[in-house]
Amino acid sequence: MGSDLILVIVIVTAAGFDFTNGFHDTANAVATSIATGALKPRVAVGMSAILNLVGAFLSISVAATIAKGIINPALIKGNTGMLIVLAALVGAILWNLVTWYFTLPSSSSHALIGGVIGATIAAAGTKAVSFHALVQTVLAPAVLSPFIALIVALIGTFLAYRLIRLLAEDFARKGYRYGQIGSAALVSLAHGTNDAQKTMGVITLALIADGKISAAHFYVPFWVKLICAAAIASGTFIGGWRIINTMGNRITPIESPQGFAAEAASGATILASSYYGYPLSTTQVVSGGIIGAGLGKKLASIHWGVAGQMVGAWVLTIPSAGLIGAGAWEITNLFGVHGGVASVVVAVIAAALAAGVWILAQRNKITADDLDRTHVSPLDEGRQLGAEPAAAAG
Amino acid sequence: MIVLATPLVEWDNVLKILLAGLIGAVGVVVLYGFLLLAVSRARSSKSEGVRIVDYAIAGVCGFLCIAAVVIGIYAMVNKPKSSSSKSKGKAKIAMVAAPSRRTGW
Repeated sequence: MGSDLILVIVIVTAAGFDFTNGFHDTANAVATSIATGALKPRVAVGMSAILNLVGAFLSISVAATIAKGIINPALIKGNTGMLIVLAALVGAILWNLVTWYFTLPSSSSHALIGGVIGATIAAAGTKAVSFHALVQTVLAPAVLSPFIALIVALIGTFLAYRLIRLLAEDFARKGYRYGQIGSAALVSLAHGTNDAQKTMGVITLALIADGKISAAHFYVPFWVKLICAAAIASGTFIGGWRIINTMGNRITPIESPQGFAAEAASGATILASSYYGYPLSTTQVVSGGIIGAGLGKKLASIHWGVAGQMVGAWVLTIPSAGLIGAGAWEITNLFGVHGGVASVVVAVIAAALAAGVWILAQRNKITADDLDRTHVSPLDEGRQLGAEPAAAAG
Repeated sequence: MIVLATPLVEWDNVLKILLAGLIGAVGVVVLYGFLLLAVSRARSSKSEGVRIVDYAIAGVCGFLCIAAVVIGIYAMVNKPKSSSSKSKGKAKIAMVAAPSRRTGW
């Protein structure tokens, strides 16, 4: 009974993580399309939600590449294994909400990996973590991915503006806006395929740890796919307006050719990385693409203060989610791993903290109807970092 | 014991991704620019012949852009070269994978 209760709580928490993943990462696919007026905000998140839903069902070939080789797999067994997964999910969810509150795009996958590492270290010590694998499969790609997308988007934007010289300005802008609808759709589909699978893998892992599925005959049950697809799609549909505003308006003023180049660069880089099995963060790729698109246009301004805050969040993601995950594990440890009480207590505390962050965010609410550069992150209150490009442009 | 048998940065993969990104994204951006250029020229041209040629160019560019998207979706659904899928079964549920040389478990 105890293990079943833990399993149910892990599944509900995993769905909660997938939901935060959806609204945290909506910006990756639609921020530039909304910023250039290619799509209305509600239409953009609606389209992205549907494509995330479809993408979740497309493939399960990378159902659980999260933390692959980084932690000792022998730990993920029985109640202990499920509680490690639960603590990891709590770390990831809370860090996602913290970065959302500060309007900063950060990687949900890195948050989950950080949570897994933190909970694992708390449960079994540092020997249970391969730091070589962590650097190789997470940290090195995290450093390189924004630069790859930046280079591609910079060249793409530069060439796009060369071609635009030969066109009437209005025609070019309108034409690239249509193109942005296609590129946003592709990034949405890629996001659904990649990110929903990670949560499917986490739930399946819990089912294996509980003995409901044999590790030797791995499969993802249809109801798991359905839960994950629905959670990520509904999260996407809610629309993470705080982060959409940062990516679309506060990094650099974006015109439709830049938006198209940024999305094409992001889409191509994400798909190529999937194909070659080199895991890159969608958020970091898209952020690099947007900066590259800003640099590719002559006299365009990049808001380096906002970019610096984003990089700061990326650096902090794994350790912070890890600390929260470790804290969650320690709480479960207080109650012992054999009963479901520990999982209930951790879930209730996590829900209370999540509600607290949400309430705090209502003080500086950003909605679909008021996306513009004058909004600032709580980090910048009084400094008006986000408003400078608007003033320069206007 | 941690086995440091593999390099920290897989430069081979990084260069492949950069190259694929450049070909795919820059290619699509340029092709789409030529599509717009051809449509613009066709609209403003008074000659029927020039218009047909420009629309044909626009059609070819549009077809190539769509083909690039289809290839992208194919790559997304089928990940045959994925290093994570080279060892079947082991990679599918990675957190319970068997000990590997890379990690030293």
